[in-house]
Amino acid sequence: MKFIRLRWLAGISAAVVVLMLAMCGPIGATKHPRYGGTLRVQLHVANLSLDPREWKPGSVAAADSERLGSLVYDRLVTLDEYGRFQPVLATEWSHDGATKNWQFKIRAGVKLSDGSALTVKDVAASLQALLPAGMTITSGENGFAIHSQRAAPDLLEQLASGRYFIFRAQPGNAPPLGTGPFVLTETTPPTPSEANPSVLKPARMKFRANEECWAGRPFLDAIDVTLGDPPLRQILNLQVGRAEVIDIPPDLVRKARQENLRVWNSPPEMLLALRFDEAQPTTSDGRLREALDLALDRETMANVLLQRQAQPAESLLPQWLSGYAFLFGEPMNLERAKELRAALPANVVGGTEPLRLRVDAVGDLMKLLGERVSINARQANLSVQLVPHAVGGTATASGPSPATGLHLFAWHYDSLSPRVNLQEMVQYLRAETAAEGANESTNPERLFADESGLLGTRQVLPLMVLPEYVGIASNVRNWSVGPSGEWRLADVWLEIGEAAASNGDGSGEPNGARGVHP
Amino acid sequence: MTKCDFASVISSSQNAVRRNLDCLPSFVFSFLLLLLLAAPGAHGQVANSGGTSLDELVQQLVDRVAGIPGLRGPLRVQYFQEPEFAAKTGKDWQDTFRKELEKSRLTVTEDAGATLLRVGLAKTPTEIVLSAGARLNDKEEARFVTIAQAAFGVPNVAVSPIRVDQQLVYQSADRILDAAVATDDAGPGLVILANRPAGLVVLRVGGAGAAKQPVSLTGAGVRASRDSDGELQLRGNDVDVVFAAKACHFSWASTPDAVCRAAKSVRRAPVVLRPRCGDDSWRLIGDGSDWYSPELLQVVPDGLARKGSAALLSNFPGPILSVSAGGEQNPDSALVATRNLRTGNYEVYKVTLACGN
Repeated sequence: MKFIRLRWLAGISAAVVVLMLAMCGPIGATKHPRYGGTLRVQLHVANLSLDPREWKPGSVAAADSERLGSLVYDRLVTLDEYGRFQPVLATEWSHDGATKNWQFKIRAGVKLSDGSALTVKDVAASLQALLPAGMTITSGENGFAIHSQRAAPDLLEQLASGRYFIFRAQPGNAPPLGTGPFVLTETTPPTPSEANPSVLKPARMKFRANEECWAGRPFLDAIDVTLGDPPLRQILNLQVGRAEVIDIPPDLVRKARQENLRVWNSPPEMLLALRFDEAQPTTSDGRLREALDLALDRETMANVLLQRQAQPAESLLPQWLSGYAFLFGEPMNLERAKELRAALPANVVGGTEPLRLRVDAVGDLMKLLGERVSINARQANLSVQLVPHAVGGTATASGPSPATGLHLFAWHYDSLSPRVNLQEMVQYLRAETAAEGANESTNPERLFADESGLLGTRQVLPLMVLPEYVGIASNVRNWSVGPSGEWRLADVWLEIGEAAASNGDGSGEPNGARGVHP
Repeated sequence: MTKCDFASVISSSQNAVRRNLDCLPSFVFSFLLLLLLAAPGAHGQVANSGGTSLDELVQQLVDRVAGIPGLRGPLRVQYFQEPEFAAKTGKDWQDTFRKELEKSRLTVTEDAGATLLRVGLAKTPTEIVLSAGARLNDKEEARFVTIAQAAFGVPNVAVSPIRVDQQLVYQSADRILDAAVATDDAGPGLVILANRPAGLVVLRVGGAGAAKQPVSLTGAGVRASRDSDGELQLRGNDVDVVFAAKACHFSWASTPDAVCRAAKSVRRAPVVLRPRCGDDSWRLIGDGSDWYSPELLQVVPDGLARKGSAALLSNFPGPILSVSAGGEQNPDSALVATRNLRTGNYEVYKVTLACGN
């Protein structure tokens, strides 16, 4: 009996596998990486800078800039999957017992993209411009030292992430030179369309392979980046083969997956949260803040509004970064929120005078979330009014924006150090007292206490954390991402045939050569 | 089950993965066909190389929790662990925590009215964090025990059962380009072509040859490349390393300084295995085209015109980077290099075609 069942099972299995193999095409498809081709990347962000000195910690624009920065720059160290630091431009490092003095030895023979040698002076100058106050650098012959006024046990985490790239500044507005796998060759700002001058053509950035890259030439010949295309157009471009890599907003991920697009996602890398400002009076009333906090339905926001493409957040740092985010959280309690609201004096905002919520106009997602916050607040008899705010602070057509007491903001985690992330966030929130405390220690109990203290004031109410979503064409091979979220496009190659078709050059010739440097 | 010759190079006995075939009788079908069914691997305790086990860390945490002022039992304990990390560590630590808690006179209850103690095990970019927190008198009390992630040993590799014997024989954080069975006179072992931060090296691991120094190819003029396209070709003590347009040579018998020259590459033929039963030959085919996805090693009857018509399929935790024959002594086995996408480690498996039960 068992034998008969096995035969029956094997028969079905045979049919399935034959079908699978037939659908997969000939055995022996591409085995080796291929050199050549242009990767077309489309990003939603309209403007970005390749100068790490201009990147603002925590900003979403800085995250996109960092992503492209990793094409042209290298860092000193990187982190492997086991949490061990590995050499990049620094080959050796050591520190004293107090972790205040760090020594680094620089990799020899590394060239910048203009062919000149990378020097210790370059490394020291670039880091000095990026490191926080209280850290100084002294250069030696083959290396340099970083001296910190305070203990810096997480210095390597800092140097392996965020803006800590190594570069040589250029005169004027020229972007700095780097040692990375690609070289910026052309930047085209947004220009009026010839057919319709009121419409701007998106900005573009072109990169070519750095033939002299110390870590080896990248497989791709070039990368062509288009900035500022609307998300739906990007998805269409990916579908019809006019792009190979696009960023997808979380609210469109489901649509992209339904259309069978290949979508990659990162760990949660962006926090959406509410911040109480004092531009409107009485917003510092703890009962008002607690009432709104208890009325927020984070589960519905993440699971319904964002279709499970986000995670509800009760903490400032995500679980993957702190390891203790699960310790925070109080369940939604509408009844308690109503009680608190009822106990508020009449002059507190949220009653006759609405609590005005500023929503940065960075996409439909923020507006949707703002509306949901308003609905949740109304359920607790709190009046919250949305005030769309153009990025850059420009006034609306009807005049200056009214004072707002609440701000829906996005924060990008751009350091591998939880302490640095918390400290930068605190500085953004201008909670100076907490900032001093968060500055000193990487001890998790201390970090937890700092974060707990900050959340206890309810000046900031976390809503959710979002991963990054990327749409990737089927001909893109070896997609991988570094520990701090940078795309490792130097290791990507394009599948032959499909690449030629999708690149639409019309030549019918493959745009890559197998295993041979062009 | 075939005995593995390379057990000496396995980092941990927990990582040795061997799977048996419940083979169907070969006369039943003209083509033996085996499908994969994913199943979780055996889970064990995570332990660091210094010998500190997760249980010991749990004990430390319980000691700290027991010291929280005002914390009295019974406690309602709620555990938290990311599913992906739980797959690596198992959940035995939770039992240990409960037992240790009770030893500290803090009883555990299911009563919803009892004080809630949240306990979590998490992995951050650099650390393993074990934490516990409770709200007492409107104050959040939390205690932590952390250890550097790098201090832990190589995690268990969860692999799916397949119808061939498959055993992990070597793993490394270094990028492995190729692996081959050693043919020199230093005993059984492996030769590994790896890309380290300092450059390309050839390593001799296992057997008496483990003491041999790695041979650097960078000094012989091989430039760093992102191309994983390098092959080892061994004959006795002679080692040839073949790249796209360059070949390097050295010998374990003499001073192993590699000499490289421009050369048209002659690649090794596809690997064909002959199981110890029957006269059939089977060809191994690995695609390796997408480093983003786990891959199936296809084992197809050799010499058939319609190669796609039947196959044994063996899954790997990442793309197959190279396949090399097990040597004259092992005509039924091969070495497969892969990159474990879950851990980021590079791994070498010995794959053996097994016959019968």
